[in-house]
Order: sequence, then structure tokens, then C-alpha cells
Amino acid sequence: MRMKEVKIEVLGPEPPCMRCQAAKKVAEKAAEKLKQAEISVKVEKANIMSKDTVGKYGVLVSPAIAINGVIKFMGRVPSEAEVEKSVKAAVQKEA
Amino acid sequence: MNTESARKLRTVVLLGFVITVIGLLIYSRIMAYSLAPTMKPADFHGLALWEIPIAYLIDYFSHGWICLLFAFVAAGLVYEFVPKEAITKYMGSGKIAGYGLALGMAPFLTVCSCTMVPLFGGVLFAGAGIGPAITFLLMAPSANILSILLTGELISWELAGVRIVVSIIVALAAGLVISKTPWGRAIEKEHQRTVPTGQTAMELIKPPLDERLWASLKFAAYLAKQILPFFFLGLIAVSYVQAYLPEDIVGTYLTGVTGVLLASVIGGPLYTPTLVEIVLGKGMYELGMSKGALLSWLMGQPYDVANALAVSRIAKWKVVLTYMIIAWAGSVIFGLLYGVLSGSL
Repeated sequence: MRMKEVKIEVLGPEPPCMRCQAAKKVAEKAAEKLKQAEISVKVEKANIMSKDTVGKYGVLVSPAIAINGVIKFMGRVPSEAEVEKSVKAAVQKEA
Repeated sequence: MNTESARKLRTVVLLGFVITVIGLLIYSRIMAYSLAPTMKPADFHGLALWEIPIAYLIDYFSHGWICLLFAFVAAGLVYEFVPKEAITKYMGSGKIAGYGLALGMAPFLTVCSCTMVPLFGGVLFAGAGIGPAITFLLMAPSANILSILLTGELISWELAGVRIVVSIIVALAAGLVISKTPWGRAIEKEHQRTVPTGQTAMELIKPPLDERLWASLKFAAYLAKQILPFFFLGLIAVSYVQAYLPEDIVGTYLTGVTGVLLASVIGGPLYTPTLVEIVLGKGMYELGMSKGALLSWLMGQPYDVANALAVSRIAKWKVVLTYMIIAWAGSVIFGLLYGVLSGSL
């Protein structure tokens, strides 16, 4: 079976603030776990103040996390379980 | 125990904690129990050099812990439960909504400085214009929920109220003025094309109540961890100021028109986003600083240097300079006005 690829974007300011780094760590940990469930996850960091990001998502409260281009978490650091769950939901939606 | 009832139990425990904290504050109000430090300058005489900060800190925390606890818990709760997606959605939508939200919401969202500059950039890039962005930027630090709560509890609620009103006026004035200047318009034009087309893809996940409560307490703890070390150092400095700064110097230099001018000038560079300015202000007020000077001292924050540097990366220096001058002028004008009106200049 082909591995499904999900993109997680962690949106924060540059230089990163502490809570955004925490959010990124959560996303990375969740990605590790999801690998075992045959879901490959690419975690990217995006600058919340770049024009591209604002053009795509509008005004955001940092840290924000988008999964496959949809903002799922904003202004808070979610738990690993939450990220995992919403990634799985995104995979199901694709299928 | 199954997860359902574990969740309920956690909700009850966390709500209980929050209610207890609020209750403690109300109780202390009813009992007219002072939450501010009670030591007077005279009490420091006869203490050894190393004893001064210790005595002051003990005095401070024996009274102030309720107030600090309440302030941090309230800030955490507000930050967690304020409807962020509504704000971000409307903030970029138009000028009037932008100004309104900037004034109304900035105080609640920006207890953490790392959210402030990104939001400034976001508001600007989303097309609401430079005016609301600047208003937001100035409103946020000068009247955020933590500093207002502490100003009210430690100094007086009258001053806290005045601080809010003056912050609104100054922030609005700066936003309106800058949006009319040629250099403000240049920046607005530069970012105009980035207006997002259509609806943003956003499907926020709302966690259950117990997790939100827990998250808000965690955020409160995070804020405390960020701020308290500096607050501590600030208190130590304040204890020496109270012990050694002669009252006649304060009485001579920090009253009248000179006092307002001096307070507004030293308030800016000395500002640290740590609430120390409130305690230091209180210390000097007790030594004889006038109310007018105290207000301009507290209003000195928005033009602090660190903030300006971060903004200058997005906006041009001219814009930064303009808003610093407006903020400074506002702190002087309203310091004088408040001094005259309250009969303490």
C-alpha cells in the first residue's frame, strides 16, 4: 500500500517564540508516532508574518498548526494525541 | 473509573480552583486586606544592605500573592477562552472593524509579547491597513489585562481606569495619524495586494472543557515563568529605591511639569514587559511622585526600544518614529492633564 503523505505546517513568528517551538515539537513527535501507522507526515515551519502565509491563511494568532492546508489549531499548543487524531481525520477525508 | 467521569471530575476540580482564586480576591476585598506591600520608606532604616530586599520581598509576597495569582489565572483564562478565530476573521476585514477590534481585543490577546508583533504583521498584510495595525500595537502593551489588574490592585483602580482611557485615545490617535502620513500610506500600498481572496481554510478543533481549563492554567504558569524572574529582580531594585532614594529628590524632580516630562522620558527605555514598572511606580509614588507623573511613567511603555525594533522590521523607521513620538506626546499631555484634574501635579 502506498504511504499517505500529510503536510503539517507550524505557523509562528521568525525568530521563533517559545510556544511555537513547543508546538513544532508536538507536531514532530506526533509525526514519529504516525509513521508506525503507515502515515507519513511532513512537518514544515512557516513564518506567520510572511506575505505568503497571511495571503493563504489570513490573520493568525501564533502558534497555529495547519494540516493539509487547513488551520486546525490556533493560539495554543495542542497535545500530541490531538494532532494525531486530526491527522488521521485528514487522511480519512482524502481517502 | 471510565474516561467520561474522569473528565467530569477534572472539570470540577479545575473549576473549583478557578473559583477559589476569584473567591480569594473577593474575600480580600471585602475584608479590606491590603494586597500591596505595606512597608514605608521609614521601615527600611536600620536594616542591613542584604536585609532590605529580603524584608521587602517577604512583605510583598505575603500580601501580593493573591493578586499575582489572580492576575495570572485571569490572563490565562481570558487568553484561552477569547474567541480568537472571530477576531482574526474580522480584524482583516475593514477599517472600522479593525480599529474596534484592535482597541477591544488587544488587551486580552497580548499578555504574551510573542503574539503581538505577528498579529501586527497579520493585520497589516491582510489589508486592514496600517491604522488598525498601529492602534493594536500600541493598545496591546499599555492596557493588557495583566498590567491593568496589577495597576488596579497595587496602585489604585482610578489610575487603572485612567490608564485604559488614555491608552485608547493615544492608540487611536496614533493609528489615525499614521494612516494619513505619506510614509504610512506607502507601507499600506506596499502590502495591499496580499489581501486574502475568499475564505480562509479554518476548521479549529475545540477540546473539551477540562482540557481548555487545564490549558489556560498551563498558559498562566507559562506567563508566570516568563515574567516572575524579572518581576523579582525588579522588586529587589524597588526595595533599594524605597530605602535609599531620598524623598526630597523625588519631591523635587518627580512632581510638576518637570516630573511629568522626566517620568515620560525614563519610563520608555526602562520599560520591561514584566510589570515591574507598576511596582517601581508605586514605590516612587509613595516617596512623593505626583499622580500626573505616575501616569506618564506608566504610559511610557509603548515606545520602548525592543518593541520598536521588532516593528521596524515590518514597517519603516519613519512609522516607528512617528508612533513613538505620538505615544510620548500622549503620555506627557495626559500626564499633565491628569495631574491638573486630580490636583496632584
